[in-house]
Amino acid sequence: MNAVIRTRRLTKRFGHRTALDGLDLDVAAGTILGYLGPNGAGKTTTIRLLAGLIRPSDGSAMVFGFDASDQYDTIQRRIGYLPGEFVAYPDLTGHQYLSYFAHLYGGVDRSRIDLLAKRFDLDLDLRIGTLSRGNRQKVGIIQAFMHEPDLLILDEPTSGLDPIMQREFRTLLHETKDLGRTVFLSSHVLSEVEAVADTVAILRSGRLVTTQSVQDLKDRARRRLDLTFAATPPLDRLHGVPGVQELTVDGRIVHVVVTGSTAELLKAAAPYDVINVVSHEADLEAAFLDYYSGQE
Amino acid sequence: MFRTVFLKSLYDARRGLIGWSIAIGVLVLLESALWPSVRDMPNLTELYQSFPEELRKFFDLEAMTTGAGFLNAELFTLMLPGLFLVYAVGHGARALAGEEERGTLELLLVTPVSGARIVVDKALALTLSIAVLGATLFAATTIGSLLFGLGISVSAAASGALAMTLLGTEYGVLALAAGALTGRRATAIGIASAAATAAYAVYAVGLILPRFESWQPYSPIYQAFNGGPLGAGLPIGYLWLLAGAALLVAVALPSLDGRDISTAHGG
Repeated sequence: MNAVIRTRRLTKRFGHRTALDGLDLDVAAGTILGYLGPNGAGKTTTIRLLAGLIRPSDGSAMVFGFDASDQYDTIQRRIGYLPGEFVAYPDLTGHQYLSYFAHLYGGVDRSRIDLLAKRFDLDLDLRIGTLSRGNRQKVGIIQAFMHEPDLLILDEPTSGLDPIMQREFRTLLHETKDLGRTVFLSSHVLSEVEAVADTVAILRSGRLVTTQSVQDLKDRARRRLDLTFAATPPLDRLHGVPGVQELTVDGRIVHVVVTGSTAELLKAAAPYDVINVVSHEADLEAAFLDYYSGQE
Repeated sequence: MFRTVFLKSLYDARRGLIGWSIAIGVLVLLESALWPSVRDMPNLTELYQSFPEELRKFFDLEAMTTGAGFLNAELFTLMLPGLFLVYAVGHGARALAGEEERGTLELLLVTPVSGARIVVDKALALTLSIAVLGATLFAATTIGSLLFGLGISVSAAASGALAMTLLGTEYGVLALAAGALTGRRATAIGIASAAATAAYAVYAVGLILPRFESWQPYSPIYQAFNGGPLGAGLPIGYLWLLAGAALLVAVALPSLDGRDISTAHGG
């Protein structure tokens, strides 16, 4: 695998507090990783380590094959970075700010900046200090994307954006991926990354809980099924099916919560004259919350 | 205007520079306007003789019978170095520590621009800003001398302005370096102010107590004041001020590397 990001035992301590504890993570080129975790789990710490802004206490982080602890200058010229708290110079207009960074990046087509601003419906002639939080965030997004970097490291990029702009942002991410670029995207809500990410990594209290493809996560997620029987439901039989978590009866209708495949359950129910089956969308959020709270 | 960190920093400095330039120009012209009435006071020398010896030494009162001596005592060894230091230390502390506390430094670093380059650009912008104040001071001194007959030559005015510029630059760069190393503006201001106060104390104690006279040349204040500042020519002390500033820039160069850069919330 051609890993753009590869961390081994990556650890960061601030005084006595361990913000990140032995992270082993690989991000393949041309993929989008959703980096999930509750607030304070160590997402921002990881991002700042990868961007070469803070130094690891232990372990290593390699980006493009360069060590983030001492070759960060090389890494920094090839990434687009959006911090969790994006702050710009309030006295500059969007144009002035982006033109400054365009020069620092070594030149960006003015038309590309204008195009991005148009997509996100952002007025670049306004002073950044007068912009709403969402509009300021758009300046940050354009700043991170405009020079078309090979790797984007984005810390909660959609915070403050309205749903329409979030959708536009997802489209931008898809395009970025289609161009073979890699995206490392942190968030504390699964729904935000589930539509775009290939892989999710879930972090809790500084430790990596799991890394899996979004598809796997969905397969393993809890699913709600409503089975309607012609006669009295065979509760004892259904209770014994592997994967069944909850079972409630409402007359002839049985509400079942299953993890993983529903095949076993349906097989068990089939002989008993099932007249209707309603399957609800896999509850990814619940699966995700299990990881969050440490039940998995 | 926003092509480099250097140019952006100059842009940031523009408003402050205009205000400070006007203040310094007005101050020098007002003080110069007082000269004719001071010069025409009868028994000026006797008046000065009546002051205690320490005070005479401190403000070089004997020299106050000339225009240059008058301005040296009234402005160039008290008010002006104070103003240049306040401006330079404030600007130097804001340059890097200010950007870091605001959370904008990390964005500058995640570009092809290296940390050392940012330090150099910021130090150059600081130096040029102080030099603009120095040029204003030179112009105001020269114009004031012509208008009110202080008889200060162009070269004497130049050495006075140069002394203030170099003094400000050394402590401004000290604040910049301290800010680059600690990431904290208040700490940077504290360190630079303490250093300037200590230098002034070494200079002042040397004036009053002959025992400590031999320490004076180590004080940047002495290096800037000795023999002038107006009319000092180009003393070797100016070279020390320049060397001190250059050394501090060299110390600051690698300071953004190898340490954790703060984000907007300081965490």
